Amino acid sequence: MSEEQKPAAPAEAAAPEAAPAPAAAASPAPTGTPSHGGPSRGGGPRREGGPRREGGPGGPGGPGGPGGPRRGGKRQFFRKKKVCKFCTEKMDYIDYKKAEILAPFVQERGKIMPRRLTGTCSRHQRWLGVAIKRARNIALLPFAGHTPGAGSSAPHRFSERGDRGDRGERGDRGDRGDR
Amino acid sequence: MEERLYDLIFICRPATPEEDVKKLVTAVETACAEKGAKIEKTELWGTKKLAYRVAKHREGIFVYSQIRTTHGELILELERRLGVQDAVIKYMTIRLDEDMKRQKKFGKKREKRAARRPRRNVAPAAAAPAAPAPAPAGDQSAAG
Repeated sequence: MSEEQKPAAPAEAAAPEAAPAPAAAASPAPTGTPSHGGPSRGGGPRREGGPRREGGPGGPGGPGGPGGPRRGGKRQFFRKKKVCKFCTEKMDYIDYKKAEILAPFVQERGKIMPRRLTGTCSRHQRWLGVAIKRARNIALLPFAGHTPGAGSSAPHRFSERGDRGDRGERGDRGDRGDR
Repeated sequence: MEERLYDLIFICRPATPEEDVKKLVTAVETACAEKGAKIEKTELWGTKKLAYRVAKHREGIFVYSQIRTTHGELILELERRLGVQDAVIKYMTIRLDEDMKRQKKFGKKREKRAARRPRRNVAPAAAAPAAPAPAPAGDQSAAG
């Protein structure tokens, strides 16, 4: 590919040298594309470029296409592999009474975190789900809303009105007591 | 019926006096004794914050019991008695013997697997002393 481009290069190099003004004036006509960084498609000077294949999505600043830039692409593909915490500690029974063990696996809103984020194996994820649901039933963990010890310091939106989550307004007197 | 293991947790109102809580614990023990059940342990966790409002309370006094019995209908009786009490706002019973069996099973599997596989740490330690030995021979050949 590069061999085909080489004989054309001197001719193309001579053209802008001979008539820079008409070339500048005529440049919009042949290409018709706005100039941008990276190799031009209309057959512009190829002094800087390598072969066209590596042009790709953009110059040095671009994040790249779905695969990522080839130079730094490996960093995007490989993450530090997470290990199942329960397998490491050889825990065969996840106690629902210990909310401090379960809280790191629960999001701020009370939802169970997926195992692709926590690195839990499938077996322990099932047992973890059972333990969290039991803890929810006995009010050790919330069904929805702010989870104590889940790592968030943001105040809950409905903290003044109680743990109603997304259920909207309530009809009773709130904290004003019973009548 | 085979022997079953149950976890019983109930939550009392935060303003409940300690004597009333002890009366409740005694009532549970009496009901278990009537049916021939054995209470493995009873724990008073004290006042804890609830994750959500229960009966308009944000805190509660937690009481935990572990019961071993062959009569499954005992649990129905216990829950009936706890439900009648005004001081109790929430209760839950969980059957645990299957979980304990599974825990033992996986523990045994792990021990078997560990006993079967030889440790791989020995191999590199054996190779390490052999590594420096060729080096002096190589230096002599280079000098010569």
